[in-house]
Amino acid sequence: MKMDNSFLKVLVNPSGFFQDAITKNENLKIPALIVLISAVVGAAAAYFIVTPTVTLMSGMLSGMGPVIVLAAVAAAFVITLISWLLYAGIFYLVSILFHGKGSFNRTLEMIGYGFLPQIFGGLISLVVAMHYIPQVIVQAIPSGTQDSQVILDATTSLMHDPAMMALTQTITLISIVFLLWSANIWIFGIQYSRHLAVRDAALSVGLPVILYIIYSIYKLGAL
Amino acid sequence: MKNAQVLFLTAILLLSGMLPAVSAFTTPDSIVAAGNVYVANTTYDPGTFFTGDSGTVTVLVTNGNANQSTVVNHATIGDKDIRLMSHPYDTSANIGPLQTRPFTFSIETDAPEGTYYPTFSLSFRDADSLYYRAPVKVDNTPLELSTIEKPDTFAQGQKKTLDVRIANPRESDVRNVVLEVSGDGITAAPARTFVGDLAAGASVPVNFTITPDQPTTAHLTVDYNNGDNLHSVAMDLPVSFGIDKTQANPVMSNVQVTSTAGIYHVTGDVNNAGLQTAYTVMVTSLSPAVPQDPYKTYVVGALKSDDFGSFEVTFSASNAAVVPIQLSFKDADGNIYTAVQDVKISATGQNAATTTNGSSTMLPVIVAVVLVVVFVAGWALYLRRKK
Repeated sequence: MKMDNSFLKVLVNPSGFFQDAITKNENLKIPALIVLISAVVGAAAAYFIVTPTVTLMSGMLSGMGPVIVLAAVAAAFVITLISWLLYAGIFYLVSILFHGKGSFNRTLEMIGYGFLPQIFGGLISLVVAMHYIPQVIVQAIPSGTQDSQVILDATTSLMHDPAMMALTQTITLISIVFLLWSANIWIFGIQYSRHLAVRDAALSVGLPVILYIIYSIYKLGAL
Repeated sequence: MKNAQVLFLTAILLLSGMLPAVSAFTTPDSIVAAGNVYVANTTYDPGTFFTGDSGTVTVLVTNGNANQSTVVNHATIGDKDIRLMSHPYDTSANIGPLQTRPFTFSIETDAPEGTYYPTFSLSFRDADSLYYRAPVKVDNTPLELSTIEKPDTFAQGQKKTLDVRIANPRESDVRNVVLEVSGDGITAAPARTFVGDLAAGASVPVNFTITPDQPTTAHLTVDYNNGDNLHSVAMDLPVSFGIDKTQANPVMSNVQVTSTAGIYHVTGDVNNAGLQTAYTVMVTSLSPAVPQDPYKTYVVGALKSDDFGSFEVTFSASNAAVVPIQLSFKDADGNIYTAVQDVKISATGQNAATTTNGSSTMLPVIVAVVLVVVFVAGWALYLRRKK
């Protein structure tokens, strides 16, 4: 069985890819698979990133470590799936302002292809997390601690651990880079799925994405 | 008339002949026998007198005759300085062969210091009297109360130990020696110390503590009995407040602060820069710090002069750049002393993290902004060309 690798064209020539894709029937299988893989990679990265938090809480919530890990992994997985719908929905709604035409499923399909860079971004983040997490120094909050201020201070201290901060900054930069790559794909995806001019498609995708990135940069600076 | 004279002489002769039947005569034998009666010992109680003291003197008289008793009519002792207070031996008494009989008299003296020789006299029925001089001393030397060790200064509410010594420079023992400590605003423990008997030339140390509430004077009084006569000697000790130059002085050094998981760890050394031992040295953190396990309080233990020990305390602190670290210790009397030293925690704490990370945070922000600008500019350029 020959694997259809033509969708990889979206990475280097999204305009050409979507020009071909729009002529075909709506097919959510490959986009869903891409998003699913992205979600799995994101969940794997979350497994490593949540480790210091589990250690932090190990004294206070003895025996709850696996539950916290499971919750974090599940949340990362589900959030990726939800973000697919969210991005598609937002772009769909914004494109309405530019009199965009086309079904939501088609938009969903095109946006799904745009998650392909997120897989690479997730894998790089995973490697970065595996590098930095062992360097994070974390001490468990003593069991029986009731003072919320102590817990808050402990959490703040963890977030300000040098290795943790480096990890956060690096992952944020990686996600911004690959989000811009995805945005580049989504612009062409929206252009063809919603039958918009390139400029309108760029605004439909660019405005929400730029706003999100600005928020990410703000959080980065507020650390 | 002649008959009357004859009758009188006859009566005299008859009476003279009857005398040996009712009492002995002073004969050479009785005089020899009296010569064998002697004073074996004389004991004064007390051994030496103060002027004005009363006491007793016991004279032991021994009959050295092996087979002849001695009858004494009267015994007494005293002179103008050593006055006899009782006359218990104004009646005759018998001292058997080779027996010793005590004669005890109550006496008193108002004489000044010196050695006196009151005369003991014993009159025999069948011979002359026995005289004996029993020397006794009148000595007004009191007991000596001296301070062996006392603190240079006192502090309000802090207990200090004093060592004194009670010595008996007299030639005789004294009894019921009691040291009493009193004074305004002073709590002494024990307030009264019973020493008991104190032999001639002996001394005894006495320890007690004073806890003053104010600068004052401590009155030390030693009461004692010389025989049955109560005497006392007093001494005043000034209780002034100030800083003891020799007291222990623990000092913190080599203080290092680390922060892990919101818990600050302060480690360091405590050196005793004082001359006395600091007992139960403890280190803990004060507000705004909240002590946390595992080292809410660190007990260093006892530190001798120039000795040192390490400590570690753990605490949490929010929005605090400086945290007071308290160092407490006790002296030998259990008084607690505290010293507080501020320790900067911002250099390693979250505030410092914010400061330290302020510069490093800027780089990724700049990079992110550049990425966004490049992306937007690239698309703007692309759109312009597209037109």
